[in-house]
Amino acid sequence: MKIVVAVKQVPERDAPVRVAADGRGVDTGDAWTMNEPDAYALEEALQLKERLGEGEVVVLSAGPERVESTLREALAKGADRALHIVLPEDGAGSLAQRDTLGVAQMLAEAVRGESPDLVLTGLQSDDLGAGQTGVVLAELLGLPHVTLVLSVEASAGAKEIRVKRELEDGWFQQIEMPVPALLTIQSGGNRLRYATLMGIKRARSKETKQMDAVAANARHDEVVRVAMPERTRQTEMLTGAADEIAAKLVERLKAEVGI
Amino acid sequence: MAIGIGEVVALASFELAEPLHFSIAEMVALVVACGLSLGIFAWRMRPIAKNILHAKKDVGFSLTHVGRRVWEFVSEVLCQSKVIQQRPLPGLAHAFVFWGFLAFALVTTNHVLTGLRLGVLQHTGVVGDAYFDFVGLWALLVAVSIAGLFVRRFFVRPRWLGTKVSIESGVIAGLIFLLMVSYLAAFTLPADSMALKAWWWVHTLTLLAFLPIIPGTKHLHLLLSPLTVFVKRDGFSDIPKLDESETVEDFGLLAGKDVTQLVALQAYSCVECGRCTEHCPAANTGKVLNPKEIALGVREYLKEFGPASDKPLLNELREGDENPSNSSPDNPAANWLSMEAAFECTTCGACEFQCPVGVQHLPIIVGLRRGAVNTGAWEDKYGTKLFLALEKQGNALGMSAMERDKFVEREQLPIFDGTQEYCLWLGCMGGYDPKGREIIADFARVMRHLGTSFGVLKKEKCTGDPARRLGNDLVFGSLAEQGLKAFEQAKVKKIVAICPHCVRTIATDWREYGVAPEIEHHSEFMARYAHLLPQGDGGAIVYHDPCYLGRYRDVYDEPREVVKKSGELVEAARHRERSFCCGAGGGLAFLGEEPGERVSNVRAKELLATGATTIGTACPFCNTMFRDATAAGEASPAVLDIAQLTARSLVNISTKTEATSIG
Repeated sequence: MKIVVAVKQVPERDAPVRVAADGRGVDTGDAWTMNEPDAYALEEALQLKERLGEGEVVVLSAGPERVESTLREALAKGADRALHIVLPEDGAGSLAQRDTLGVAQMLAEAVRGESPDLVLTGLQSDDLGAGQTGVVLAELLGLPHVTLVLSVEASAGAKEIRVKRELEDGWFQQIEMPVPALLTIQSGGNRLRYATLMGIKRARSKETKQMDAVAANARHDEVVRVAMPERTRQTEMLTGAADEIAAKLVERLKAEVGI
Repeated sequence: MAIGIGEVVALASFELAEPLHFSIAEMVALVVACGLSLGIFAWRMRPIAKNILHAKKDVGFSLTHVGRRVWEFVSEVLCQSKVIQQRPLPGLAHAFVFWGFLAFALVTTNHVLTGLRLGVLQHTGVVGDAYFDFVGLWALLVAVSIAGLFVRRFFVRPRWLGTKVSIESGVIAGLIFLLMVSYLAAFTLPADSMALKAWWWVHTLTLLAFLPIIPGTKHLHLLLSPLTVFVKRDGFSDIPKLDESETVEDFGLLAGKDVTQLVALQAYSCVECGRCTEHCPAANTGKVLNPKEIALGVREYLKEFGPASDKPLLNELREGDENPSNSSPDNPAANWLSMEAAFECTTCGACEFQCPVGVQHLPIIVGLRRGAVNTGAWEDKYGTKLFLALEKQGNALGMSAMERDKFVEREQLPIFDGTQEYCLWLGCMGGYDPKGREIIADFARVMRHLGTSFGVLKKEKCTGDPARRLGNDLVFGSLAEQGLKAFEQAKVKKIVAICPHCVRTIATDWREYGVAPEIEHHSEFMARYAHLLPQGDGGAIVYHDPCYLGRYRDVYDEPREVVKKSGELVEAARHRERSFCCGAGGGLAFLGEEPGERVSNVRAKELLATGATTIGTACPFCNTMFRDATAAGEASPAVLDIAQLTARSLVNISTKTEATSIG
């Protein structure tokens, strides 16, 4: 089974984020990491390959040169090959200049060249969180897709897979579907593996193919303003004896929360 | 001195008799017997020598610090200092046997030569006779000592000698006893008697029987351990650099091919005395790990598979797995070397410190962990979480770096800008753990009281200590490199830290990647200014030596000086070099619940048995462990870091001055 995993490089969780000078984007530091849901997508792909005892995991990412560190991490964890769609850091053609459809078109172009049995990607990105890239990509590739997937069952050579997806309120849904297909993976379904020295060493001899991106179309949407959340409520300390505090608290809960 | 001479004079009236004549037949028999003995010895010695010599070379090892090596050889081998110091009675008995053997060397050579009519030692003259008498005295001491050791091994049976009765040890003890008795018998018999000839042959044959037994048994230490002690690695718990050349794959001790000559030599030198077991926190609290079996496991492995094998050293015992994948009758090493055991080590170093024959357990145990972690073979929920936290958040507690910023701001700790004298290193515990933060806050108070300028780094990542001890070279290396860069960019000259693990890792382990600024533990800092600190009265305080400050750094007196400034210092039953671990080291603080009894409980009980109401600690990990261990008890004592003890005296002083000024 050939699996393509599309991953995104995002700012690290603790990276200082500031609104950019033009007020329409953000400036991040230079600490980057693999988008967490994508890390789970990669983990699912690797475990699937290990369970089947055969197959190939190809990791795909679009972005400037720095994306290579994320691709190397994926190779170190066990991916077999990497595809890097090289984009400028900023300006025309950069990731920021493309909307979801533009990004998906670019990824679709690369995936078509591989004709995989399965395309996996994270449910959403930690930075923008639109949750659209995976499903739009499936549409462009003409593949059936399932979102919020926790685990995948497959047998070697079979034309069908069984997936478990998460619903609201602790419910799960089991779906049987044909391959090729696209799945967007939910975080936490697996236990992530840690990177190893052996993985890093062996990754050096693995191939990373650099590709040019398709030309960027004009965005369909426009970012008007990016702003830090405004603090609308202040913390208020209720003072007094315990029963007074309790009484005040009950009053507030009734009046303001509506219990 | 007078008594010594008197004894010699008294003994001089006894004279060692040697047979006057040996027939040709006897001489031929002697030559054949010697040849046979030496032949069997060489034949049994060959595979051992082969396994050691054909093992991988130790990368980066060289026989430097010859002065120290000679000193340790004289002290530990010739003077038997460690053997006696750490186990006085059996140690002294062993020393007598060893010194007796040395005294016998010349006499024994002469004994065999006599049988070939080539005896060189003359019985005439004072010197000749005095030497035979001198050796006679040793023969007495050896005979008594070996008899005592025999009684200890077979009747007293200390737990750490293992449950299996070692028959070979009994045979060896018997042979040594016979050697001594047969030597002494010659003092009582006339030179021309048949009886004397008979005893001569008994002595000779015992000697020739002894030699071939040596290679296959723990008595191999007679030959190897002097060498092992001399060539052992520099430094305590020294973890060797991995071979990074492109053509080799070196991930630690994964299989026989990774076992180095030093490891092989040490494994064959193990004398199975169980000093390591006696002091091991894991072995004493019902864990699988027994450090003695680590050395023996490597030896068994080498015997079975040799030093070129690809067969894994560790068997992958998993929870509920009755038949571990590579444990089988044809893999005897698997009985000793399990993944489970390797990851139960707290790296407290008691084993390595205690070992009298130069076995360095920690590079072996950490080496086995490296093999398992660097290849991803070790799968552990908590371990993986720790590594990912170190990879992503850069601290062992997996918290957001912003939490540290908030703490620094709240405590108004100045940011290091190059103008201050010290960089105060917070560490993961000091930066993120609530109790660790209290220690930092109190130590900052002490530094302010002393008027020392200091600042903290704006951003700080873990030193990589837990990754280092658990064998994750990727995470450790990346953290070490980032840490070195941070110090360089901030132009730090001197560092002070509250955590002995941070101190050790920065000062020693980071050397693989560069030179860190000078670092010291806050106990060393405070002891230097002890005369400027107020004398407090905090009652009886029992001080617990942290492994990484004591055995790893040889710092014992400084924290005690600080404790004495805060109250009355009380010593636990095991202290200084013999201190017992709190259970947190080696990354274990971050792994799951330990099987058997908690190490921290055992140590906390021992500390409380002194009757002290306060436990003084010098490591934030020990502090946390003892807080947990004593929280449930009836009389929970105060568990305070030495910085907190000192800060407490400072508070008292300021309230006192206030009181006087008001009054």
